[in-house]
Amino acid sequence: MASRITIGETSRGARRTRRAPRDTVIAFVMLGPALVLLGIFVIWPMVYSAYLSFFDWSFYQESVFVGFDNFRRVLTDQVFIESVGRGLLFALIVVPVQLTLAFIFASLVATVGRRLATALKVSVFIPTVISTVIASIVFILIYQYHGGLANWVIGLLGIPPQAWLADVALALPSMAVPAIWLGLGIAALIMLAGLLDIPVTYYEAAELDGANWLQRTFRITLPLMRNIILYLAIAGFVANVQQFELPLVLTKGGPQNATMLPNLLIFSHFRDDITVGYSIAAAFLLFIVMGTISALIFRFLNSAQAED
Amino acid sequence: MKHRSLALAVSVVTVGALALTGCGSSTPGGETDENTISFWQNQFSEEDNAWYKEQVAAFNAAHDDVQIKLTVVPGDAWEQKMKAAQAAGNAPDMYTMNYSAVPMKARNGELAPITDLIDQEAWNDLEPRFLDAVTVDGEQYAYPLLYEPSALLLYNKAYFEAAGLDPANPPKDWDQLIDAGLALKDADANVVPFQLAQNAVELSWTTWSSQNGTAGHLPISDDWSESLASDPAYTPLFQFYQDLYAKGVIAKQPLSPYGDAAPLGEGTLAMMANGSWGISLLINQYPDMIENLGVAAMPTIDGDTSRSSATLGGWTIGVDAKSKKTEAAASAVSWLLAEDTAVPKDYFIKTQFSKLSPRISVAAELAEDSGKSVNPFYDVLVESTKSAILEPTYDWQVSLAMGTALEKAMLGGDVAEAQAEADAAITKVIADLGLAEQKNG
Repeated sequence: MASRITIGETSRGARRTRRAPRDTVIAFVMLGPALVLLGIFVIWPMVYSAYLSFFDWSFYQESVFVGFDNFRRVLTDQVFIESVGRGLLFALIVVPVQLTLAFIFASLVATVGRRLATALKVSVFIPTVISTVIASIVFILIYQYHGGLANWVIGLLGIPPQAWLADVALALPSMAVPAIWLGLGIAALIMLAGLLDIPVTYYEAAELDGANWLQRTFRITLPLMRNIILYLAIAGFVANVQQFELPLVLTKGGPQNATMLPNLLIFSHFRDDITVGYSIAAAFLLFIVMGTISALIFRFLNSAQAED
Repeated sequence: MKHRSLALAVSVVTVGALALTGCGSSTPGGETDENTISFWQNQFSEEDNAWYKEQVAAFNAAHDDVQIKLTVVPGDAWEQKMKAAQAAGNAPDMYTMNYSAVPMKARNGELAPITDLIDQEAWNDLEPRFLDAVTVDGEQYAYPLLYEPSALLLYNKAYFEAAGLDPANPPKDWDQLIDAGLALKDADANVVPFQLAQNAVELSWTTWSSQNGTAGHLPISDDWSESLASDPAYTPLFQFYQDLYAKGVIAKQPLSPYGDAAPLGEGTLAMMANGSWGISLLINQYPDMIENLGVAAMPTIDGDTSRSSATLGGWTIGVDAKSKKTEAAASAVSWLLAEDTAVPKDYFIKTQFSKLSPRISVAAELAEDSGKSVNPFYDVLVESTKSAILEPTYDWQVSLAMGTALEKAMLGGDVAEAQAEADAAITKVIADLGLAEQKNG
C-alpha cells in the first residue's frame, strides 16, 4: 500500500507543477459556493456572536459592554455545567448502543436474500423520516403512567408501573430510547453500504484459512469500516449532545433538570430572558466544548485510507 | 462542452446560494402594508379564539382606513416566534400578553406608552388593581381584557360520595385535602385522587399564590434586593407537596399538563387544581359530567380563606414600542377592549362566564346578565378572587428557582436543602441581573 501511495503522489505532484494555475482556479471555483455559504451562515454569525457575547443586549435597549460578565454568569451557573455533563452522558448512552445495533442489523441484512433485505432496510429506515417531534409525542403516549404501553409491558412481568418521564433516575434513559430508535436507520444503512463495499474475496480467503465469524469480524470487517464508524461516532456524538427536540417535547428538561441538555437550557434562556447575553455566551462555550471533543475523537481514532 | 457544464453547475449553485441568502431578509410575519396593523394573539381555547376572530372581522368591517391582520400563535411557539420577529425588527404592531409581562416589557422599552391614545374615561373604568398592573411610572402600557383565578379545586361529586365524603363540604385545608385524597384512593384504586402542577415549570407559576398565602410574602423582598426563600414559614408548603407525593395522593406522573381538565372530564381523576378556564372546558367538552362537578376555592394551609390561594392571571393587549403605527394600533386596542361594552362582554358570554372583567362597567353588566347561569359556579369564581393576588412581575428565573425547589421536595428531596438551593439560586439571579436596580429604576 505504501508504494501505491508514493507512486500516486509522485505522479500527482508532477502534474501539479505543470498545470498548477489552472487547477487552482478550478479548485477555487468549485470551492467558491460552499465557501460563500459557509461564510454567510457559519463564519460571520460565529464572529458576530463572539462579538455580541461581550454585550448585554436586548432588541429594544442600547447594548451595554459587559466584558466577560456573560461568560462569568454561565460558568458560575451549576445548571449549565451540569447540562453539558449530562449531554455527554446522554451521547455516551445513545451512540455505542446505536452503533452496535446498527452493525448487527447491517450484518444481518448483508447475509439475507435480496427481497428480505429490502423489507428490512425499509423498516429500519422509517424512523429516520419521522419528525423528532412526532416521535416524541408517540413516546409520551408509550410512557404514560396510566394506560401507557411501557407500563403495560412491565405489568405483564409483574413489575409495578414506573414514572418513566417523571422519575429523576429513569427520565434520561427513557429519553435515550427514542434517540437510539430515531438514529438507527441512517446509521444502519451507512454501515450496510460500507459492509457491501468490502470485497467478498477477503472473506473467502479467510474462510479457506479457517477463520471463524469472530475472527472475520474483528480482523476484516471492523478494520475496513474504521472510517465509517469514525464518521458515525462523531456525527452521532455531536448530534446527541445537542439533542433538543426530545427533551423539549418529552420532559421540558425535568424532572429536576434530569433531562436538561445544553441546547434546551440555552433555548430556555433565550426564550425567557429579557436580554440574550447568557444564551449567546452559553452557545459559544458549548461550541468550544463540542469542537474540543470532536478534535479529541479525531485524534484518538485517526482516519486512514482503507486498506484494500 | 465540459467547461460549459462546469460553468452551468457553478452558476446554479451560486444562484441557489443567493436565493438562500435572500431568504434572510424575509419577515416572520410582522410587516404589513401602510393601512394594516399586525396583531398576534396567543392561541387560547376555541371559544376565546372565536371572539378574537369575530371582533377583528367586525373591526375591519367598521373601518375603511385601517385594517387588522390577526395571527394566532400557539403558546409553545409564542416566545421563539416573537424573539425572532423582534430580532429582525418585525415584531407585530400589537399583541396579547399577560399582566405579569407588562411591567417587565415596559421597563425594557418593548412597549409603547398608550396613556394618551386611549380615552381617560376608559382608564377610569378599570378596577384600580388592574389599572396598577398595566401602569409603570405613571404611564399605561396595555389595556386588559380579562382576569381569572389561576387555581380552584375542581372535583367529582360522585367519587366523593362513593368514598364516603360529603360533596357539599370539600376540603378547606391541606390536611383535609390529603385525607380526602387517601379516602378516594381507598375507594377506587383506578382513579387518581388528586392532581395539581407537578413539574418545576408549572410549579413555578401556580404556587405564587400559595407561596404568598403560606408565608405572607413572596420569596424575594419587596425591593428585590434579597432572597427570602429560606424563610422557615415556607417549610409547610414544601412539606405539603412532599406528603401529597409520598402518600400517593397525586400520581407519580401527572395525567395531563396543568390547566388541562380532560382527566377530570374523562373520570380518571377525582380532584384537581385548575384555573377557572377548566370550568369552561368541562362545560363545552364534557357536558354530561357537569352535574357531578364541584368547584371550590383551593384549600389553604389552615383553612383560612383570607390567605391567597390563587393568582389573578389574565390577558391584556399592548402596542410594540417599535411599531410605526402606534396611534392606529392603540385605537384598535381601544375599539376591541375599552369602548363599547358589548364588544368585551361578548367575550365573557362566549367563554361561558368562566372569566371576569377588569372593567367596572362590563363587570356590572355581567353581574346583571341572566345568561351567567350557564356557569353554575360563577359565585364561587367571584368569591375566590377576593383573596387572590396579582401575578408577581420579577424575572422568571426567580419563580423557576422556587418551582425547581418545590419539585425537589415533592420528589422526596430534603426540604431544608431544597429551600437553601432556591435561596442560593435567587440570590445569584438578584446579583446577575441587578434586580434591585431594575425594581428601583
